[in-house]
Amino acid sequence: MGATVDEPRSSEGRSTPWLANLRVVATTCEMALKHAATDSFIIFAVFVQPLIIALLGLYMLRERGGDYAIFVVVGSGLTGLWSSLLFVSGGALNQERWSGTLESLVGMPTSLEVVVFGKNLAYVTQSLGSMVLAYALASLLFGTPLHVAQPLLFLASIILTTVSFVCLGLLLAPMFVANPDIRNFVNALEYPMYILAGFLFPIALLPGWTTPLSYVLAPYWAAEALHAASTGTAALNNMALDWGMLLVLGAAYVLIGRWLFRVFLRKARQDATLDFF
Amino acid sequence: MRMRSKLRGAGLNAIEVEGLRRVYKATIGVIRRKVKEVEAVDDISFSVVGGELFGLLGPNGAGKTTTVKMLTTLLLPTAGTARVLGYDVVETPGPVRSRIGFIFGGERGLYWRLSGNDNLRYFASLYHVDPDVAHQRIPYLMDMVGLQARGNEKVEGYSRGMKQRLHIARTLLHDPEVLFLDEPTIGLDPVGARELRQVVRNLQSESKTILLTTHYMFEADSLCDRIAVINHGRIVAMDTPSGLKKNVSDLSVIEIEVFGIPDEVVETLRQSPAVHSVSVENRDQRQALLVHSPLGSEAVPELLASLDGTRVGKVTVREPTLEDAYVRLVAETG
Repeated sequence: MGATVDEPRSSEGRSTPWLANLRVVATTCEMALKHAATDSFIIFAVFVQPLIIALLGLYMLRERGGDYAIFVVVGSGLTGLWSSLLFVSGGALNQERWSGTLESLVGMPTSLEVVVFGKNLAYVTQSLGSMVLAYALASLLFGTPLHVAQPLLFLASIILTTVSFVCLGLLLAPMFVANPDIRNFVNALEYPMYILAGFLFPIALLPGWTTPLSYVLAPYWAAEALHAASTGTAALNNMALDWGMLLVLGAAYVLIGRWLFRVFLRKARQDATLDFF
Repeated sequence: MRMRSKLRGAGLNAIEVEGLRRVYKATIGVIRRKVKEVEAVDDISFSVVGGELFGLLGPNGAGKTTTVKMLTTLLLPTAGTARVLGYDVVETPGPVRSRIGFIFGGERGLYWRLSGNDNLRYFASLYHVDPDVAHQRIPYLMDMVGLQARGNEKVEGYSRGMKQRLHIARTLLHDPEVLFLDEPTIGLDPVGARELRQVVRNLQSESKTILLTTHYMFEADSLCDRIAVINHGRIVAMDTPSGLKKNVSDLSVIEIEVFGIPDEVVETLRQSPAVHSVSVENRDQRQALLVHSPLGSEAVPELLASLDGTRVGKVTVREPTLEDAYVRLVAETG
């Protein structure tokens, strides 16, 4: 051991906070994807589970024809996005705790929410791959001609969906910071979201009292926008409402998430749970 | 560098701790739940001068790690204040975090599925190190800790010693002014521990302020400028290693190799006026009887007479070490 070259110092090379945070998001994204590529559970949650749902859905609805196939495929892709966000993004902080890196993350100058944002971005983007895969496989297996009726609107909706899902993840993660046992509670959130957000069937089939709940969930507006753009039923004013709600709810999730991070990180430092597992 | 030199030159404190306390709460029972309070750190005060290597020594559960976690902003104190480079660790954790580096002993705290280089690249971005600087600094640090040839391999394939050394490289990425090393050599083989101590010495020669906790007395003796001995959450002594040894300079250590010594014989020895304290260490098939006595070699005949009937091996009389001073301090403070 022992280097002979002059030591490069880093104090001169510190970046502005915004640029530095952007770099953190990009590096976190890259490392999270590298890490996920070796994790069989993540591969199951992101690729296998939505495929199973898409195949079962298409098989059951194959006689109905029309828009049902594309409806089910888009819905199954959204289930993949949600499961990934719930288990992988939320669970990622528990995994950090388990591997002893959560303390390192908290003890660094980067805010933990920036790291979580980068991780969520990686996992949600990865889940988009599962949506494409579900499309391609369903087309092949059932010979169903799947085409997106309004591709530009669909693409814009996909981008806004990704952003809003990443922001929604900022609401979930702080709870994992404060209490590792929260995963038992979070597990119970998977299926209610499928139903309340109308991933696989319209929320008009649900009792009226659940509608306000759906309205405060960005995944509901994402499902609305994506279903409409893919089936060609999108009216521009409705689409504008969906996109607007995705942006407004996304911003609200960020603000609430930042506050929750502050509260729960303080609680974790108070209760000594950063290294507790 | 300028800041560190200024601190050292002016004798300014890099770390200031005053009346620091930390109480852990644990709940007991299911139906009638009771809250039990454990005082992990109990009203400790000390300061570390810029450029100093300060040791925290104490048995397991003495409060060393809790103290380090409070100073590194990972744990909130129950009472008292702590400042690092003038910044309060509770009120202004941000500036503290960007100026310190820390290691908690053991293999955890790294991303095992990523390569060593990727780990450092990721942590460099988290420390807001400019990519150009990180690009030069990562190979430099990997070389410094002897890992350059294995930098592209996944950390899960590293030995424990390699992981510990990667930790050292990680904590130096942003060229911190103050380092907290919590048992950095724990679990390392003798060669690995020696190499790591050399790295710490090199850091010391760069005038970095270092707070080191360790179980190994010779390590503390050879590295630290000053040592605080902590027991049951309280600082029971604080001095230079030679100053601490002076506490036991009135005593010599008589080490007697024995085979199967009965407890009652040890108890009889303890009552002898020639004996200050006695301890027994098990060493494979034999034991080492360690007697602290003010009489030195003059006490040997009396001790051997007391051991009549016990098989005795080698007898040595030596000057007390830091370990002897430590054992005495810890024993005296319960």
